[in-house]
Amino acid sequence: MIAFVARRLSLALISIVGASVIAFVILRVAPGDPARLVLGQFATPAQIAQFRRANGLDLNLAAQYWRFVSRFVTGDWGFSYGSGVPVRHLLISRLPATVELALTAFAWAAAAAVLLALACTYRTRPRLERSVNAVAFAGLAAPPFWLALLALLALSLKIGIFPGPDGQINARLAAFPHPTGFLLLDSLLAGRLDAFASVVSHLVLPAFVLGLGVWAYLYRLLRANLLEVANEPFLMVVESKGIGRWTTFWRHALPNAGLPTLTAAGLVLAWLLGGSVLVEAVFDWPGVGGLVVDAVGQKDYSIVQAFIVVSAATYVAVNFLVDLLYGVVDPRIRTAVNHGAQQ
Amino acid sequence: MAVGILVAFAVLAFSAPLWYGISPLATDPAHVLGAPSFAHPMGTDDVGRDVFARFLAGARISLAVGLGVAVCAGVVGAGLGVLGGLGSGWVDTALSRLLDMVLAFPPLILAMAITVGLGVGLITACLGIVLSTIPYYARITRSDVLRVRSAGYVEAAVALGVPPRRVIRRHIVPHVVPTILVQAATTFSFAILSVAGLGFIGLGAQIPTPEWGTMVTEGSSLFISGHWWVSTFPGIGLLIATAAAAVAADRVRVLADPHATVRTTLA
Repeated sequence: MIAFVARRLSLALISIVGASVIAFVILRVAPGDPARLVLGQFATPAQIAQFRRANGLDLNLAAQYWRFVSRFVTGDWGFSYGSGVPVRHLLISRLPATVELALTAFAWAAAAAVLLALACTYRTRPRLERSVNAVAFAGLAAPPFWLALLALLALSLKIGIFPGPDGQINARLAAFPHPTGFLLLDSLLAGRLDAFASVVSHLVLPAFVLGLGVWAYLYRLLRANLLEVANEPFLMVVESKGIGRWTTFWRHALPNAGLPTLTAAGLVLAWLLGGSVLVEAVFDWPGVGGLVVDAVGQKDYSIVQAFIVVSAATYVAVNFLVDLLYGVVDPRIRTAVNHGAQQ
Repeated sequence: MAVGILVAFAVLAFSAPLWYGISPLATDPAHVLGAPSFAHPMGTDDVGRDVFARFLAGARISLAVGLGVAVCAGVVGAGLGVLGGLGSGWVDTALSRLLDMVLAFPPLILAMAITVGLGVGLITACLGIVLSTIPYYARITRSDVLRVRSAGYVEAAVALGVPPRRVIRRHIVPHVVPTILVQAATTFSFAILSVAGLGFIGLGAQIPTPEWGTMVTEGSSLFISGHWWVSTFPGIGLLIATAAAAVAADRVRVLADPHATVRTTLA
């Protein structure tokens, strides 16, 4: 087991180092001199030289990379070219809104995927299955930003059951303390039901749009694996012991069919990260995705770079944890990896 | 059927200049924001450009991007996969580590990063998507090559003294092709959606290029004033093209795997 963990950990570290190199190179070759971007059109050459020296831009590439990495690790992620605010503060202040949105999207998507897979597998329901499959295809194929616009137009502007694209909460409501940063929790902790209702109604549309692709992906994966497991002899044994369908599904079929879905967590995270960039801008959501889109528009590449490194690191970390978890849950994987290292 | 839709789309889009006389870039101040009508089947936008003409031009761009990315990434990725699968230990290890580094990025974020680095535009966006999809091809091809390589008929061919090149060409590569085709159809969808997404946030095609994602952005502010047609039609185009490719990928998968059709429902 230790060898398994060590091997996975070294792979994860190599990936993160590689990701940091790629992110660093990208910012270095990006068009536009940061000195010009920060100091403006009318800076004198002396000012520019001074800026380049102060920010290490006159060092050779390897030294610059080392400076970037050592500072990044200690939490100095540079500052926004546009506003001068440290990038880390910007990202961290925007993080809770994104996490809240992503978790809500993931929660409904996972729950709906399991329930619908159950409904389609528990008994043969060709009509239900056909319509769910069609919706799943549409969910995979629909561009999230376009879906977000359509949902806003239909449900918010025309019918008016959901609020317009104005962020996380109705700004006219009285303020309340934000100890956790997650508005759903904070409004409940403060005992403010009006604020809670506003947060929920603002959350429904973006969470639905962001989660739709995740739901479609998880549903299709789980359904395919359930069908595969259905052919396994152990289920015949379970059935011949006279165990009910309900127990068969929850206790025997789902745990076995669900393992590949667990490894899909990385892909789901990629979906949520990419989706948040595309969806938050539409809903004016005060999260990281919206921040990055604005930064791209203003060529504020230090924010984009930090976002890229952080997403890559999160992605690698999640995949590493999933690999470990998978090894713990399913001993066959552990031995297969150890014996077949070259495979 | 799915492939038929894609082919029909392509034929309509690429023959459009022959049968649809309106230019996608021509503005017409007299007919600004006209609702869909006989003269303009998808209406006109805020400077009087014909949305249907732009829709067709967008189809040309999206289909070309999807196909181009799927083929370029497929050739490079599958090549690397075969190299890794057949190469000696250190070639395989080095390749795998290199690909792991690229795989450390969520694909859309990597495409974003590359586009920022190389300068914003349609071509760099495509390049970004190609680079972020290559490892998926390579990985899947490599594991397939490893599977086929240890098959009995390959060993038999080697034992009979068939030259290695011929073994690879005649006995290994054909068995890997279905897997690559499935991956290509998936990549096609991903490329179309990603280029549109990058265009939407301003990293892909630039306004006024009639690219579907950019068109959705252009129309998004008009949406609120009730001029829904400018954004809706390019979105439908995206939906149909990607869904058709996804269905095609599923079909290829079933055709390539004879066991996939034999299924019972859960006991």
